[in-house]
Amino acid sequence: MLSLSSDSSRSPSPSVSISSEDRDRPPSPMANIPSSGMSSFSPSGLSTFHADLATSPITGGFAQMHLSPSSFTAQLRTQSAGSKYLRRQSSSVDEDAIHDALSPTHVSPAQLYSTESGRLFHAGKICIVLVGLPARGKTHLAVSLTRYLRWLGVKTHAFHLGDYRRVHLTPGKDVPDDYFLVNASPSTVILRQRVMAACKADVYRFFEEDRGQVAIYDAVNPTSAGRRVLVKEFSQRGIQTLFIESICDKPEIIEANVRSVKISSPDYIGWDEKEAIMHYLKRISDKIPHYETLDEPEFSYIKLYNAGERILLNNSRVGYLPNRIVFYLMNLHIKAGCVYFARAGKATELRPRYKSDPHLSDEGRAYARVLTDTLLAHRRSEHTARSAHGDNSPERELIIWTSTRRRTIETAAEFAKRGFYCRQRPQLSQMHPGSCDGLSGEEIEEQFPGEVEMHKKDPYRHRFPRAESYHDLAVRLEPVILEMERIPNDILIVAHVSVLRVLYGYLMACSPFDIPALDFERNEIVEIIPSAYNNKVKRIKIYGVEESATL
Amino acid sequence: MASYSFQAENIQICVIMVGLPARGKSLIAQKIVRYLTWLSIRAKCFNVGNYRRLETAHPTAEFFDVNNSEGERLRKLAAEAAIRDMFRWFDHEQGVVGILDATNTTKSRRNWILDLCRKRNVEPMFVESWCDDEDLIMQNIMDVKTTSPDYVGQDPEKAALDFRNRIRNYEKVYETISERDLTYVKLINVGSQVIINRIQSYLESRIVYYLMNLHIKPRCIWLSRHGESAFNLVGKIGGDSDLSERGREYARQLPRLVKMSVGDRPLTVWTSTLKRTQQTAKYLPYRQLTWKALDELDAGQCDGLTYEEIENRYPDDFAARDENKYEYRYPGGESYRDVVVRLEPIIMELERQENIMIVTHQAVLRCIYAYFMNVPQDQSPWMEVPLHTLIQLEPKAYGTEVIRIKADIPAVSTYREKGQSAKIKK
Repeated sequence: MLSLSSDSSRSPSPSVSISSEDRDRPPSPMANIPSSGMSSFSPSGLSTFHADLATSPITGGFAQMHLSPSSFTAQLRTQSAGSKYLRRQSSSVDEDAIHDALSPTHVSPAQLYSTESGRLFHAGKICIVLVGLPARGKTHLAVSLTRYLRWLGVKTHAFHLGDYRRVHLTPGKDVPDDYFLVNASPSTVILRQRVMAACKADVYRFFEEDRGQVAIYDAVNPTSAGRRVLVKEFSQRGIQTLFIESICDKPEIIEANVRSVKISSPDYIGWDEKEAIMHYLKRISDKIPHYETLDEPEFSYIKLYNAGERILLNNSRVGYLPNRIVFYLMNLHIKAGCVYFARAGKATELRPRYKSDPHLSDEGRAYARVLTDTLLAHRRSEHTARSAHGDNSPERELIIWTSTRRRTIETAAEFAKRGFYCRQRPQLSQMHPGSCDGLSGEEIEEQFPGEVEMHKKDPYRHRFPRAESYHDLAVRLEPVILEMERIPNDILIVAHVSVLRVLYGYLMACSPFDIPALDFERNEIVEIIPSAYNNKVKRIKIYGVEESATL
Repeated sequence: MASYSFQAENIQICVIMVGLPARGKSLIAQKIVRYLTWLSIRAKCFNVGNYRRLETAHPTAEFFDVNNSEGERLRKLAAEAAIRDMFRWFDHEQGVVGILDATNTTKSRRNWILDLCRKRNVEPMFVESWCDDEDLIMQNIMDVKTTSPDYVGQDPEKAALDFRNRIRNYEKVYETISERDLTYVKLINVGSQVIINRIQSYLESRIVYYLMNLHIKPRCIWLSRHGESAFNLVGKIGGDSDLSERGREYARQLPRLVKMSVGDRPLTVWTSTLKRTQQTAKYLPYRQLTWKALDELDAGQCDGLTYEEIENRYPDDFAARDENKYEYRYPGGESYRDVVVRLEPIIMELERQENIMIVTHQAVLRCIYAYFMNVPQDQSPWMEVPLHTLIQLEPKAYGTEVIRIKADIPAVSTYREKGQSAKIKK
């Protein structure tokens, strides 16, 4: 996947589908990777590359699998060990992959270096144990942390006890009434213990078989005694424990959590909203008299108050990771804004060279105006729709981030004229093409045939001579990602497609395999809407702009 | 934070140090200034003790007794003077982060400062250093206070005793921060516990993250450029050339030089992704990591040219670079400022680590050196960092010690003075 030379015109090669097994799957925008992205490669080179993917036994049987949170563990159980981990289908990059299992040889988008053991920072195996009453944002925390840690290259996986509970109940049958009560009947207690054992078994398998480094155990963990047992059990297996407790003493935060949890949790599908909230709050009050906050001075723990208002870090013997996690937590917001991705307009050079940094062409300027109008109209209609549904929250202010390259700044100029705040960030500059600057696909194949071969094998990490790789980009973009998490505004990012791929890859937990092939057309604005359990993607069509090559 | 207003770009933060004497407040304050200055964020430290010394040069412990009304009055005056200067600096010198370095141990004192900040629209952030580890405290006292201007000329034993009494006076009125609506970070026993409250902005979170990664274990950092390269010999900049014969000799000598300096201490070596640094480090018997961020400053269109060629082809650019070498960005390339931005994770990692050796390039080395030695922006791009020299940095309490170890292998000089094209001295 050649992504170095930008904006080259699309070659007339026919579109090549990824695999024959995909015939049954409904077409999705992402499946068009070949036609939009491969114009620099000869069609034969392309189909060889993707044909490997098509005939691989791993991906073969998985065309229909839909990985929703509740079905995830069920899938794990029904597959044999060899096929447990799949390589992600490119066409499902529109779904947040944060709940997917990682393969044992998974390498993360922003991983700084690989080690023999697969474990980074010499921190060994760590289990992050979440502590906190229901509706304290623990699951959101687990999901966000997983996203960020995986991004950094720490092999992380979240294990939600709630998922295991749902799997252990036969479909159609409800949870026993006394399931969440402390003085439950013996049969319920046995059921509860089975659920916990199943979850822990997966945690151990993650560490031992899959060379996982960080497991996040998402459950209430209300008693000090219970936590001590966990620490002892983990330490016997060489696993260090870091507790993160989420504490809330503001009722409005708790209610807002319940409302959003109710929407996205599988537990309450089909329930009436008021009944669901009441049921949930009752669950909470049943546990309250038996909840003991973290107080054990010898434990390593982080206490998070009111979603980040206050953070207490105790005894960080596990080194690098707690500091990094705390830094992330300081910037994490439950109510993050939307992120929009848009490409820069066409430049005066057909194949814009990195070194010349050309201006926008007339066509590019026209595009900039249409882009501005489309986005603002979309936001207005969204706001109207929300108010119609009774949601009177004010529209979040929109800000624009561009790189320091001229065509991105000029694309955003229309927004600036209308009074929107535009900020130029050098970190958002495109991937450096190095010696391939300004060369066409054919010229690159001619001049660097060996490099092209290596690039096909590992498009994410391979660097052409003097160029950057996607991995370098990911490391470079980390401050941008953290600021994105912190800012409650809506953000429009106007940048080169290589940068958009990496940022999208972070928000949607894409694998390094998928990131170089992500598609960003000029006639679309990609909108990412954050939510507690997973992020969602929407594509806003820009009318009056023709489709173009992704390069 | 209901609305994130973009006055955030014109943010002004006052970091208010809190803590008993000998808790490392001044050290922390100075490190923050050094870090932010390196990132081109204007920061300055206002040490109340210095203002107090203008009036009262050699006070005894009784001066600091809260019941000593004359002492109280003079100390308050000193605090006022420091704060006045700080606000003047915010207003007239585009200050961004001002650090008020004083004990600020009582709630009433903190409230007073808080009021002043809020009136001026400056965001207050408290940093409290709390320590009850006796050994640490004694070490601090010995290291710093006995060389303090307050005790100049006095017998160190007596000075230490008097200082201990001074601390006792402060202890009587010490109120640790507990007000929940303040923005603060509390470092307890050098970070074994950290409490972070109400961080308001990304810049504040960066400062807190930086503080959390600091440690006070003694360690050294070694810096070296790659050995002389083929491009160096012909005066070309940039590129990814191999080492010259003399450069290879340096690579062979390097393990001996490093061993002499490092001894038996554990060490990790960091190189860039360009061949010449990796070739230089290849005989070193330590764990090696490559960082793209350590690659040389990208010269864009001028990559592979000599300074003479650049002067002939791009005379305006050549002159502009001399005018402001730190900000000047090569067309299609980078400036020193861009290099600093990409070096920041390296610096953060360096603060966390212990003994590290970095083999890198001229511009990158200048930036890293500038961070540790607090070299200002108008000077750092002009620093002389010759080839075939190992630089040892030892960060200490109030500064960094530098030792330069020259390998006895001649090399060209890649140093160019303002207004000249490179003259190759063989």
